[in-house]
Amino acid sequence: MISSVLFIILSAVIILTAMLSLYFRDLLASIVSYAVMSLVLTVVYFHLDAPDVAIAEAGIGAALTISIFVLTIKLTRRREE
Amino acid sequence: MKLASFLSLVLITGFLFVAINKLHPVGAPLGNPDVLKDRSSAATDIINVNTMDDYYLRNSQTETGSNNVVSSIVFDYRGFDTLGEATVLFLVVTSISMLLSLLYKREDVDDYEFRKPNEFPGDVSRIISYGSYLLYPLIITFGVYLVIHGHLSPGGGFQGGAVMASGTALLLVSALITRHVHRTRRIFSFFESLGLTIFISMGFAGIGTTFLYNFLANGSLTLFGRAIPFGPNPGFLNSGGVLPVLSFAIGVEVFFGLSIILVTLFHVARHRKDME
Repeated sequence: MISSVLFIILSAVIILTAMLSLYFRDLLASIVSYAVMSLVLTVVYFHLDAPDVAIAEAGIGAALTISIFVLTIKLTRRREE
Repeated sequence: MKLASFLSLVLITGFLFVAINKLHPVGAPLGNPDVLKDRSSAATDIINVNTMDDYYLRNSQTETGSNNVVSSIVFDYRGFDTLGEATVLFLVVTSISMLLSLLYKREDVDDYEFRKPNEFPGDVSRIISYGSYLLYPLIITFGVYLVIHGHLSPGGGFQGGAVMASGTALLLVSALITRHVHRTRRIFSFFESLGLTIFISMGFAGIGTTFLYNFLANGSLTLFGRAIPFGPNPGFLNSGGVLPVLSFAIGVEVFFGLSIILVTLFHVARHRKDME
């Protein structure tokens, strides 16, 4: 019971952060929101008995993609038109 | 346009809610409920098998000597797919690094200084530089653990390599490595190619039966050939046949490949910033 309530809360946080990362005009804030989404998604994958996918999501989604995006923002503009 | 996006949102949400009712319970075997019961001989069992899942659950431990069924599928039964993924990653790294190297001149980036954490590198605070120096060994250790135990515990070459590459990203974002981009890229690309070469040569080594055949499993004890019993057990490092070797090869390739992308991108960004 507790775990299903937790699961619903985590899913809501995923949807919220995914929408926020589309909503923000400041791209750095958008990326941070995306990182939060990936972290929560890691917890959800672990909850669904998929630790392989959880590790891959934590390594790639929450760390590598974020740093590549941050470096790309350094090369381009920070604010969306 | 807004109506179309709203309609697609409703459609996808409705589809997901319909699909969620069709899921079977997490962790339950899909086909035969007897698939996890003890087996008597080491021969391949197709009697107690109804679906593909059953076959893997029932036979992967005795056939490949790997406790991690996912790893045994990724590196053994579907090893050719993994070779395709590794090749795709190799091509991506090659093309990105070639494109980015057009953006700077060689003599402009070769003379940055290496910064120690107590030298207070410009725009990075002391907390970040010390913190990343403390975290970096832990991240690398965890990644190496994932690669080495790829056939025993969750994880494997790809996950371990990605975790180690996130350590590189940590060092770069906290601006601790800033020197010798060309030498770094040469070394890294050598090791990346080495990983892919090990993978392909292990594939050709088993060509007496088929490409990527697990010819080391259940063989010599020194060459990862230890046989493991069916069912839950702690596992042994020297089991798994060619799986640990392939996992190591993929780990090396993913780590150095993703690190090349990060290092090159970082140096281009650094160069642009210094030009302004």
